[in-house]
Amino acid sequence: MTQEIEVIRQVLEGDIESFGLIVERYEKQVVRIIKNMTNNAESCEDIAQDVFFTAYKKLAYFDPGRSNFSTWLFTIARNKSINAMKKKRPVSMGELPEKINPRNPYDKLAERELFELLDRELLALPRGQRRAFVLAEFEELSYEEIAQIEGTRIGTIKSRVNRAKKKLRSAIKGFGGDTI
Amino acid sequence: MKSGEIYNGWKERKSQIEIRKNFTDAVMNQIYQYEREKRKPLFDGHQLIELISTRPLSKAAVITAGAVIGLVRITFVVYAFLWC
Repeated sequence: MTQEIEVIRQVLEGDIESFGLIVERYEKQVVRIIKNMTNNAESCEDIAQDVFFTAYKKLAYFDPGRSNFSTWLFTIARNKSINAMKKKRPVSMGELPEKINPRNPYDKLAERELFELLDRELLALPRGQRRAFVLAEFEELSYEEIAQIEGTRIGTIKSRVNRAKKKLRSAIKGFGGDTI
Repeated sequence: MKSGEIYNGWKERKSQIEIRKNFTDAVMNQIYQYEREKRKPLFDGHQLIELISTRPLSKAAVITAGAVIGLVRITFVVYAFLWC
């Protein structure tokens, strides 16, 4: 954290090269957040590039007293994802797959089908729930950090994550499994 | 396979991500380009001289403009002298 603040200070003093360290450190996480929030594998890297470029331009506005750098960066990623999704046509419930009922849930095909089902269930979640779920489950951020990113209360985040988990759990149950 | 395992397998798969090798370079190039644009002066004298010297029409326009300004100035001086 202190090291990160030092790097940011160097960048603000004109050492542009140091920003590369920040990009290298967070590139995977930012791309993953965008990919899982937007479900768009093709343009997630372009959006991530835009996130880092925006972060560079706005770096002077980052206040270490208010949040971690990662929280600030992920907030930019979250906002860019929302903008990208506004441009993209939303997926309607009609496009979701029919219930799968494989004879043998142990085989690879069934696993792949179940993963696809979970992907689609994730995509069908209300956007706020999906964002909270992605940040909590895939990025393992604390509820407090997610609340800061989403600009809402911790209780709201907890309830969004729980509701999302419940929906995914029932999807697995519908497939023939037990609880998560 | 228990659904807990399925769920964890799915989470693991969603966590694996491959990004292009030159991603950092692409971001840094965009930043360098931005900084170059920001530092570029609004009026670039060298670029103007190069533009005039390489295009005959620009040369002719500058010479004509200079001649017109000179003529106007001489007329003004002569007129002022005669008036006095």
